[in-house]
Amino acid sequence: MDSDKKFRELIDRSFTGEISERERQIIHSHIRDCNDCKRYMELTARTIRGLREFAFATGESHIRLRDILAHHAGTMRQHNVQLKVRTAFALALSMSLVGSLFAWWLARFLAVQMHFGIAQAQAGVLVFWLLPSLCAALCTLVTPGENRGIA
Amino acid sequence: MAWSSTAEAEDARIARGLRKRDLELLTSLVERFQHRLVRYLVYLTGRQEYADDLAQETWIRVLQRGSTYNGRQRFDPWLFAIARNLTIDYLRQKGKAGQNTSLSNDGDAVLQLPSSGPSPFEAAARSEDAIRLADRLQVLPPLHREALLLRFQEDLSLHEIAKVVGAPVTTVSSRIYRGLAELRSAFEEE
Repeated sequence: MDSDKKFRELIDRSFTGEISERERQIIHSHIRDCNDCKRYMELTARTIRGLREFAFATGESHIRLRDILAHHAGTMRQHNVQLKVRTAFALALSMSLVGSLFAWWLARFLAVQMHFGIAQAQAGVLVFWLLPSLCAALCTLVTPGENRGIA
Repeated sequence: MAWSSTAEAEDARIARGLRKRDLELLTSLVERFQHRLVRYLVYLTGRQEYADDLAQETWIRVLQRGSTYNGRQRFDPWLFAIARNLTIDYLRQKGKAGQNTSLSNDGDAVLQLPSSGPSPFEAAARSEDAIRLADRLQVLPPLHREALLLRFQEDLSLHEIAKVVGAPVTTVSSRIYRGLAELRSAFEEE
């Protein structure tokens, strides 16, 4: 009986592809003489065949599923564009602030060197640098994504 | 299992398409894999109604996380692993909401659902032998059912199954043998 148990374990393993060619031959020579193990092998094969004889219906039609996926893809694309727009705006804003600080420092230096008033230099930086760069940064928020090439 | 260079090229193509969120590719994948995905989910949950909803969620997840598929492994085990994780998360949340499912930190235990309604296996049986197996399949532990399906219907190797279910190969083998023993008894009474 112990020997049969071992052979049945080997038979089980043969169905999961875990045995060598030599072990397969051992099984075949054993089942020639052992009806119980032969029946065991036949029933296992029949069980596996039976498992392949089920056909499940798929409830969702492919067209409906495609529509659902298209909708999700659209939403994700839109979300991506919004994310890129916000990132571009944050980048433009920080660049205009950093650039303005630099322009302010340069204008003050030049004003002292060229004997201009500091207030004139401040007004110049504000009108010709800070305001235009802020407007340019705000433009990233109002222009549609497609026109910026980031859609 | 041998993974031919044609299959390798095909999986690389799928990976590229998923990275680009190519809707045409995704549609073709749905056509190719939907029935196998639904079958896997029926085996996993034992319920047809869950399988349809979870299959839809799985494809949405594939669309969202397609860039994580690298194309160096087969697509189908990757798809089944996504479906499996999604199912466990879904059933865990359902359990948290105080419904009829048992809640456990162990993902495997979450899959044990009380049977209700008609058996999806009875409805899907296409032969005398399948009809005899249907009852046993319905009461078989989901993890045994899953292992049997992945080995004998999806033809995955034990290593591939181990990756999908996140368990050692020895555990997978043991589930297959126990599952087979349960089902074989349907014919032993003859």
